[in-house]
Amino acid sequence: MGEIFNIFQGLLNGFDIALSLTNITFALIGAVLGTMVGILPGLGPAATISLLLPLSFKIGSPVTSIIMMAGIFYGAMYGGSTTSVLVNIPGEAASVVTCIDGYQMALKGRAGPALGMAAIGSFVAGTIGILGLTFVAPPLAEFALKFGPPEYFSLTLLGLVMATLLGGDSIIKGLIMVVLGLLLGSVGLDPISGAIRFTWGLHMLQEGIDFVTLAMGMFGIGEIFYNLEKVLKTELVTRKISHLWPSLKDWADSKWAVVRGSLIGFMIGILPGGGAVISSLVSYAVEKRVAKNPDEFGKGAIQGVAGPESANNAAATASFIPLLTLGIPGNAAIAMIFAALLIQGVTPGPFLITEKPDVFWGVVASMYIGNVMLLILNLPMVGLWVQLLRVPYSILAPVIVLFCCVGVFSVRNSVFDIWVMGIFGVIGYIFRKVGLEPGPLILAFVLGPILERSIRQALLMSAGSPAIFFTRPISGALMAALILFLVFQVYLNRRKQRQRGKG
Amino acid sequence: MKKIVIAVVVAGLLTLPLLAAAQDKYPSKPIEITVPFAAGGSTDVLARLVSKYAPKHFDKPLVIVNKPGGGGITGTEAVVRSKPDGYSLYLGQGSGHDLVTPHFQKMPYDPVNDLIPICRLSVHSIVVIIRADAPYKNLKELVEWGKKKDQVTASVSTKAGSVDIVFQAVGKATGMKIVTVPFRGGAESVTAIVGGQTDCGGNHPSEIISHIKAKRLIPIAVALENRDSAIPDVPTFKELGYNVVAVGSVKGVAAPKGTPPEVIRYLAERFKKVCEDGEFIKAMKDIGQPVMYLGPQESAKYLKEGFEQYGKLIKEFNIKLE
Repeated sequence: MGEIFNIFQGLLNGFDIALSLTNITFALIGAVLGTMVGILPGLGPAATISLLLPLSFKIGSPVTSIIMMAGIFYGAMYGGSTTSVLVNIPGEAASVVTCIDGYQMALKGRAGPALGMAAIGSFVAGTIGILGLTFVAPPLAEFALKFGPPEYFSLTLLGLVMATLLGGDSIIKGLIMVVLGLLLGSVGLDPISGAIRFTWGLHMLQEGIDFVTLAMGMFGIGEIFYNLEKVLKTELVTRKISHLWPSLKDWADSKWAVVRGSLIGFMIGILPGGGAVISSLVSYAVEKRVAKNPDEFGKGAIQGVAGPESANNAAATASFIPLLTLGIPGNAAIAMIFAALLIQGVTPGPFLITEKPDVFWGVVASMYIGNVMLLILNLPMVGLWVQLLRVPYSILAPVIVLFCCVGVFSVRNSVFDIWVMGIFGVIGYIFRKVGLEPGPLILAFVLGPILERSIRQALLMSAGSPAIFFTRPISGALMAALILFLVFQVYLNRRKQRQRGKG
Repeated sequence: MKKIVIAVVVAGLLTLPLLAAAQDKYPSKPIEITVPFAAGGSTDVLARLVSKYAPKHFDKPLVIVNKPGGGGITGTEAVVRSKPDGYSLYLGQGSGHDLVTPHFQKMPYDPVNDLIPICRLSVHSIVVIIRADAPYKNLKELVEWGKKKDQVTASVSTKAGSVDIVFQAVGKATGMKIVTVPFRGGAESVTAIVGGQTDCGGNHPSEIISHIKAKRLIPIAVALENRDSAIPDVPTFKELGYNVVAVGSVKGVAAPKGTPPEVIRYLAERFKKVCEDGEFIKAMKDIGQPVMYLGPQESAKYLKEGFEQYGKLIKEFNIKLE
């Protein structure tokens, strides 16, 4: 009981700090900036935080600057869906998968419901994430530490097998895309031997192809090329905008997707090797699996927006848990916040909560406030964004390309990456022409390298014995789940065949 | 008279560029410092701290730009190819891609001759760490324990990097069969050892300082000639009777070849002042990075020795990328 009392006392103290005029102002600045960088394609939260780092020293108090940076990070998760839905360009890595169904919804005149549901889902997920951060952070972080290479391998394998239906109608086409994704994911240094693979002597490729660059090219630029061919006269992306807000049916369709997305995002977000991108992909795959209307996916299913957009927000919040309780940064943006804390003389780790309770609880409390701000900020914007679709394509398209170039450049200050995006634009265009769906490619591109790395690391740990995947408790449980799943599938197929045989 | 006027005008015109140059006394605009690694890493944090305390000692601000890619090669090349006017510098000279990588792959520039060292700011030593709840508490116990095992796993930040090379040397010196498990960078390899995935690990002090304070990790030996002032209680391998010495990862500042000597002198002098600033030293101590200033000539000598040392170790242990 004392534990709970301490938490409430800490939280109360945190609200006291977070509600000061300065801190509330910086939380708002963070939320606004975050929404903006989320919307701007390519420019992600990590790059933005690094740009603002020098400024953060001048703010003075570490709490205030971290409140702002945290706001940028989770705010970006809100904004990321906007361009994914409107123009098929992921505003942020974790919103790549939102393109698939979000953009289709926009083409059908349902951009409003898609954006509205994304904002509401983000709010629900963000709040669930903060509740988790408040009440169960330390024990969960300890649990997440138990995830080593064998666990990541088993988890990813389970995820991949469950997601095999991510592709469209044709298994062959899906397989082609998976293989391409795996190949693209293997560009760069071999993670274990250090050998250089598929870089054609370009050292810019040694660290691999950047995910955002690839996705922006393949989805966004490819789409623009495709439309250029089609829309020669000045035309709108869509003429009809049916209604602005999610209907009752949309609510009913999405509510469980939001809940599942939040939980998936939270669980994956805690893992040091997890993160918002993977959680959004997993959530999409799960939604497609459990949906009553799997055929709708890829054609504008609202669950395909609600799930991943919730997942990435929950994951963003959850990734503060390993940072604040263990001092372990799980992704690039969190690593920036970690660096900012260090420079301010605050060492994140197990005694942050006891030695600097003001920092810990101040930041946690500010997240509750920031999430409400973001919801208030984003919902009215939906109407505004939808109006963007009324801009003639001849104006919209060049502006989008310009923003994409700026955004991609900003990630690593590299002109080379703009070329990479252009090349993937051409590839994306060809895919559209021949009817290949990029979903499985994206999944393989992200998960393939994790699978490769973790299996080889695990086998190094075990001196080559695959028993390591079954003897460690968490990995063993995941493998058991995988086997059960496969057996269940075989049983289902048998039954289907038998029924067909009877009929 | 007319001639005189013309002569004066001509003379005036001729001296204009000189005057302009005099007005343009270096530095007349902010100095851009490229960090060839991602923001948030230990080199980046060092750069940010330097730029935080620079305004007191420099006439113009230092602007940090991150250009990650190619393990550091991309950003370094960008500096090598930029104008040698003292406005584009490289921070991080002496990292893996300067001292280790050239032994394995062809570089797009000459890492020794295309850059002029300005100064050394710090050295990130390589320290071997174990989990606090491991069955061994120090190097001696680890070696006793390890010798009975078929293999001892060690998490390292990258294959064939300086930490990996040090562990090859540790294996040879102690007689343990060490298998290094490479991760994607220092942060991930720390997470692995904190989570008990490997038997031991190797990192730079700045990457593990919070875990040392939290008593989750114990640093057992430093692979330097002398102790690291960031973790002064930790003995060196030499003190413990094993000949494992590496220069670690050096963090120096460099300018492209052709930068005027007076500019180099100015910069070296000002960086020295930053390194003598008490507040800077205190901030560096907090993040586990020792301040180890060396001037241009001494830096160049130290880097050259480090380069040759890694070359020798790589040859000795026959490390190859394949």
